[in-house]
Amino acid sequence: MESQKALKERFLELDKTVGPGDVIVVLPFNLTPTARKERVDGLVGFTKDKIKVYRDGALDVEYDIANVKEVKCVPGIGCTNVEIDLGEREVLLCRADMSMNLLYATVAKRLNRYLESGVFDASFEEEVDIYCPKCMRPYPPGSNVCPHCADKKKYLSRLWDIAKPYKGYIIASVIMYFIISALNMLGPYFNRILVDDYIKAEEIPEFAGFLTVIACIFGVSLLSRVLTILRSLTMVEASNKVITKLRSMVFNKIELLSLKRVSKRTAGELINRVTGDTATVHDFITYQLGEIVQQILVFFAVSLMLFIYDWRLALMILLPAPIIMVAHRMFWRFIHVRYDKQWTLSAKANSVLHDIFSGIRVVKAFGMEKAEMERYDKVTAAERDIAISNERTFALIFPVLGFFMGIGEFFLLYYVGNKILGGTMTLGEMQQFSAYVSIIYGPLNWMANIPRRLIRVMTSIIKIFDIIDEKIDVADKENAIDLEIKGHISIENVSFGYDDSKDVLRHVSLEIKPGEFIGIVGKSGVGKTTLTNLVMRLYDVDEGSIKIDGYDIRDISQESLRSQIGVVLQETFLFSGTIYENIAYAKPDATREEVITAAKLAGAHKFIMRLPDAYNTKVGERGYTLSGGERQRIAIARALLHDPKILILDEATSSLDTETEKQIQDALQQLAKNRTTLAIAHRLSTLRNATRLVVLDKGTVAEVGTHDELMRKRGIYYNLVMAQRQMNRMSPEAAKISESA
Amino acid sequence: MSDSRKSEANNRPASALRDVVKIVKLDDEVAAGNAVFYKNKDFLALRAKLENENGEREEKNWDRVFLHRAFPFDDPYEYISVLDKDQNEIGIIGDLRNIEPNMRKLIEEELERKYYTPTIKAIKQIKERYGFSHWKVETDIGPLQFTVQDTYRSIIRVTSTRLFVVDMNGNRYEIPDIHELDRKSYRMIELYL
Repeated sequence: MESQKALKERFLELDKTVGPGDVIVVLPFNLTPTARKERVDGLVGFTKDKIKVYRDGALDVEYDIANVKEVKCVPGIGCTNVEIDLGEREVLLCRADMSMNLLYATVAKRLNRYLESGVFDASFEEEVDIYCPKCMRPYPPGSNVCPHCADKKKYLSRLWDIAKPYKGYIIASVIMYFIISALNMLGPYFNRILVDDYIKAEEIPEFAGFLTVIACIFGVSLLSRVLTILRSLTMVEASNKVITKLRSMVFNKIELLSLKRVSKRTAGELINRVTGDTATVHDFITYQLGEIVQQILVFFAVSLMLFIYDWRLALMILLPAPIIMVAHRMFWRFIHVRYDKQWTLSAKANSVLHDIFSGIRVVKAFGMEKAEMERYDKVTAAERDIAISNERTFALIFPVLGFFMGIGEFFLLYYVGNKILGGTMTLGEMQQFSAYVSIIYGPLNWMANIPRRLIRVMTSIIKIFDIIDEKIDVADKENAIDLEIKGHISIENVSFGYDDSKDVLRHVSLEIKPGEFIGIVGKSGVGKTTLTNLVMRLYDVDEGSIKIDGYDIRDISQESLRSQIGVVLQETFLFSGTIYENIAYAKPDATREEVITAAKLAGAHKFIMRLPDAYNTKVGERGYTLSGGERQRIAIARALLHDPKILILDEATSSLDTETEKQIQDALQQLAKNRTTLAIAHRLSTLRNATRLVVLDKGTVAEVGTHDELMRKRGIYYNLVMAQRQMNRMSPEAAKISESA
Repeated sequence: MSDSRKSEANNRPASALRDVVKIVKLDDEVAAGNAVFYKNKDFLALRAKLENENGEREEKNWDRVFLHRAFPFDDPYEYISVLDKDQNEIGIIGDLRNIEPNMRKLIEEELERKYYTPTIKAIKQIKERYGFSHWKVETDIGPLQFTVQDTYRSIIRVTSTRLFVVDMNGNRYEIPDIHELDRKSYRMIELYL
């Protein structure tokens, strides 16, 4: 993607009426606004007073920026548009393929802020650019470093910095590699002596010398094995230590990163960084690095030996090598394509199986067993067919290929045989040669794979350091204070969006006194949870500020802030462990009595005591399965045990039946006396204890007041209440409860 | 359960379903003269006399309507939802081919604008590196280059011969029939089928 600088230059080239300082931002486009398919080359320049659209170098249309009410990015499918709202009508400004979508969305949002405030925030380029500016290749997902252009030496030297404490191990194992390679050379040498001087000797040899040679062969072999074992042990030791260190560096970094950064990547991707990428580096150091060194050593040593003995023979062996390498690669590529296909089919069969088994209740309920059997049969049959065909190809081609690759050896045999018959070579020498030849073909095949392996490990190393180097965006200030929170929250003109394309909250202001119980209501997606996330400072606000007891939360240390905020989320997450451990999660030093008290308050004690193992019951993955309501009560107990000054309840009681909810509400009411509570609920009866209600609509505060005030107002809240009453009337049981409430 | 009762049970829900939910078929309304699609500056607009909740017909005008295909892959010209500014459905065009040619052209234009999908005529190169594949293709709008992430999963196989490739930006490219590709192109994409 072109940089803003280049775009502005191009725009100024076209438009001589504006000065360089007047251009706010320039957007490129490559599709016509009409439905025609061909591509165009266009620029839209936003200047201080005009919006000018140039298409293929000619001014197409222009608008006064003073008339623009809003700039909108409207993504289509496979293309994206920028539209402007001129009040009396909307206009399609430009259209491009999806590669510009992020740019359009970001710029549209910033232009709207510009229209309001007159200030344009131009610092978006790095965020919207997913291509490396140097080579135009895309960055790996969730990363801003291009593996092609990154300075690879820098990364290797950083890896070495981590490995340095263990350099003793590494040097030792390199020395052992040298010795092992040398020993491997010696084996065939002794063999030759054995054959030439003793077995085929012309006069009867001395028995003692014979024994010495056998002993040497035995000794070399033994020493080589022992050293191989030692080398593996040292290498395993070193690489495991390096990798553990690397892994914990990555993990610690991820834990410190803000939710905004972390949620940019999927959980699977993060797990892959922590385990997969480090495992690749681990395998490389443990097995491949040493192997590469050794194979290269062996290759050069053997080549040297061969040339010293007989350079013609050496050439005969080495010259066909590249051809054999190429043939080998081609064969494997061909086979690889076919086996890849087989692999995808077998993965497909597995996923069908997984699908059927996890949906077995639905399958049976709708009587679809037979159809599912057929579906499975079909994919396994496809897999079977390709497997048979692959095995057939393999069985046919591999021996043939082997035969042709062996043809070189026949020539060798002919040449050597001639020499032996001519008396210029002994049988032992021939044996030694054959041994070297078989040794040298190993490294040759290996070397063909080295570039691929290096690329793979380099990619992983870069990805690992990419995380380690990431800037912590929600960080504590250097002089962050520890605050004893009283509970006064003031939200001042806050705007925020999870990504750059859309604001979730816009100019939200709210004053909350200590001890108030604030109910937050509104349709789903209006930003209720977002608001509480901001109060917890899981994200930093884009504009405005949030203050607690007069201090901006960005000046309070995160540890002190979060230790005084208790949260019960809509999705209650229980870690694998006992119920006790889960309740005491944020306060590991809690006494048993404290835990039981919290559980009682949360209405959890009763059902916990009904379990055979009570508080020691294992929950979470592979543990006892609790119902949604039970899990929620444990989460509430967890938050209460924390004894927080600010309590955030995000649909905390939504999975409970109305009666249990009422019990917990009453307990919370008792508890909420000295704390500020922010509660989000769809079921409005949950919020009947609230001192004030805040109604959010489209990212802004629409109404604030007590239940009675808002009912009198007959606005959004009134409509929500009426709608729910109507719902309740449908089910007589619910109506009874709402009447009693 | 006896056979007759069984068939009764089978029949009832189907007719009941239709009684409860009504689909406003805009192609039928256009044919009956109750609805007109027209062009309003850059955009598609609709004026229609449709039944309201009480079953009475009421004339209404939408300055701008939005289209969304219900089956973009299976059949792009059937079941096209017509939406207002707030994404509320006004009705569904059951089959675009039922609408008279002039109006149909306007609707097709609006669809073309929203769904931009070049058709791949030939594949010149697919190169895999670092988890991405880089494609060089010949399309109905000329040569294009794009990058696909996680190639196998980025190919939408509609039938065994028709497929869509989705690149890392979200652009789509259609291959209407893989057997109509030349041999070289076919061999390159065969791996991902």
